Amino acid sequence: MNWTWFHKFGSPKWFFQWADKWGKLIFYIGIALFLVGLVLGLGFAPEDYQQGNSVRIIYIHVPAAMLAQSCYLALGVAGIVFMVWQMKMAPIFMKAMAPIGAVMAFLALMSGAIWGKPTWGTWWVWDARLTSVLILFLMYLGIVAIQNSFDDTKLADKAAAIIAIIGLINLPIIKYSVEWWNSLHQPATFVIGEKPSMPSEMWVPLLFSVLGFYCIVTALVCWRMQTELLIRERRASWVKKEVTKHGV
Amino acid sequence: MTYLSFLKSELLAVFYRKQDTINALAFFLIVITLFPLGVNPSADFLEPAAGGIVWCAASLAILLSVESLFKEDFNDGSLEQLIASGLYLPITILIKLVIQWCAVIVPLLLLIPLFSQMLFLPWSIVHVLIFTLLLGSPALFLVGTIGAALTVSLKRGAVLVLLIILPFYLPVIIFATGAISAAQAGQDYSGQLAILGAISLLSLALSPGMSAVSIKASMN
Amino acid sequence: MQSTLTLSVSNLLIERAERLLCKDLSFEIHAGEIVHIVGENGAGKSSLLKVIAGVLSPLEGELFFAGERITAHRDVLQAQLCYLGHLAGVKSSFTVIENLALHFPAATEVQILAALRSVNIEKYATTPAYQLSAGQQKRIGLARLWLTNKKVWLLDEPFTALDTKGVTVLEEKLQQHAELGGMTLLTTHQKLNSTLHARELSLDS
Repeated sequence: MNWTWFHKFGSPKWFFQWADKWGKLIFYIGIALFLVGLVLGLGFAPEDYQQGNSVRIIYIHVPAAMLAQSCYLALGVAGIVFMVWQMKMAPIFMKAMAPIGAVMAFLALMSGAIWGKPTWGTWWVWDARLTSVLILFLMYLGIVAIQNSFDDTKLADKAAAIIAIIGLINLPIIKYSVEWWNSLHQPATFVIGEKPSMPSEMWVPLLFSVLGFYCIVTALVCWRMQTELLIRERRASWVKKEVTKHGV
Repeated sequence: MTYLSFLKSELLAVFYRKQDTINALAFFLIVITLFPLGVNPSADFLEPAAGGIVWCAASLAILLSVESLFKEDFNDGSLEQLIASGLYLPITILIKLVIQWCAVIVPLLLLIPLFSQMLFLPWSIVHVLIFTLLLGSPALFLVGTIGAALTVSLKRGAVLVLLIILPFYLPVIIFATGAISAAQAGQDYSGQLAILGAISLLSLALSPGMSAVSIKASMN
Repeated sequence: MQSTLTLSVSNLLIERAERLLCKDLSFEIHAGEIVHIVGENGAGKSSLLKVIAGVLSPLEGELFFAGERITAHRDVLQAQLCYLGHLAGVKSSFTVIENLALHFPAATEVQILAALRSVNIEKYATTPAYQLSAGQQKRIGLARLWLTNKKVWLLDEPFTALDTKGVTVLEEKLQQHAELGGMTLLTTHQKLNSTLHARELSLDS
């Protein structure tokens, strides 16, 4: 397998220019996918025979919950990449990703609460999956806190990476323990490799909005990484060239 | 410096800092007192909640006592000396931790029969509570050490350590209280105890090395 | 064999808090030498000692001791190392003797007391360190030089908080160490006595 593309992402300059070129495109694709998902989901998908129209919030809830988990996975993997290979871009990626992951977890919790009110009759239920997302949210807050607590960037990077790695190891243990502790939530909406249990008019828009969310988050992470890169590499000549190009 | 002389000086340090142990126990007692006063002093509430209350109080007391594990050594230069001594850092961290564990957990276990009576935990269950503390608390100490090592260079790191480490304590708390409620319901609780032991062993495998890396990163 | 002891550093690059302290630093120290590191405040004198001691890691460069590469693992050097940092690791709750016993478990009480006499704090042997003044606490760390048989001394500002008599005693000890084939690397803002024949190593570029 050819790994040059991977090494290219390790070069700050190359990444910056790549993100400059593709960031906007990815963002617009994401917005378009999400809008298609919303229009299909809100306008054309059938009502749930039990939950009625309130089920339509899954077009926000499910993608947010999926991203909250994927983002933490990505944080953990980036932490390992940084601690093992000392790759310079990994902590920049983590710095850009952590607050977005926190926002996604928060969004999942809020939309879950709004969905819970008409469905269960309460805003909050201490069931396994809601609790897992809540813990995930707290773990994000921990990483963001540690990233912002040190004056020394190097130490902050290492500390965040170590906590993300421990989190990655802990995630399955926490998930298993919380599930063991209590479960009255409905089973997962999407399981990869299984045919979804809902009609295609419902899951096709969901798929659109999930993909849209992924694209939007990718673009946001790229932009945040660009900002972080400009700050960290401010003494590099390519940054000076890049900044003067925009007439500042 | 040798491992033995380090062990001796750590024992001496714990002896000089007896007040820290007393503080941890007093803190534990205060947290326990909060529940009857703040929620409900009747046996109907306290008996089923006793395991959870003891474990919440223990987690906080342990994390607060571990948080300052390296602070003094960092501030007076002992940590530098330890790194430059050529001793294997993960082993010295483990020595420190075992001593700290003995200093906090042993007195706590001796007081548990008393505390459990204040919470109306039946005598037949007290030994289960002690088993969960014996098997589960090493994991709390080991994971907390990583947080202490990461924040050693911060002037005020206690809240940060609580924020980053407490989520990792949840599985231990869940299985420990699970074992106690299983015992209260007359069910088998050996599975939960085994999981607690497994989590402690996993922490033992990972924590000393990660703490050593964290301490080295904090030196400057 | 001691005459072959050489510590060499090549192309060292040290950074601290994103600030470049030194670049392409190379030097060699042989047995019997005293090297005085000079430089402005913040030039990286303490950091250099810490890098050699293994407390910090250099970003680039190599270190060799007695012919072995020690860049990644300092054990060969640390077995021969006495490092006294800016803070010498004096535990304030310990008595003076207890502080030294940590570093020299094999030393007898007579030996420790003799060392304390050399640095003039013998009468405080059983006093807790927190009751002593800054200068006296500094001497607890320095007393280790009279007890150690290590060959490589890294001393960060050993003369601060010492009175004139203390300075003379320490300079004599350094002289004696050099004559016995030991090497010393030290930082100080003080002018060293010319009889020490200290070689200056400048960190200012």
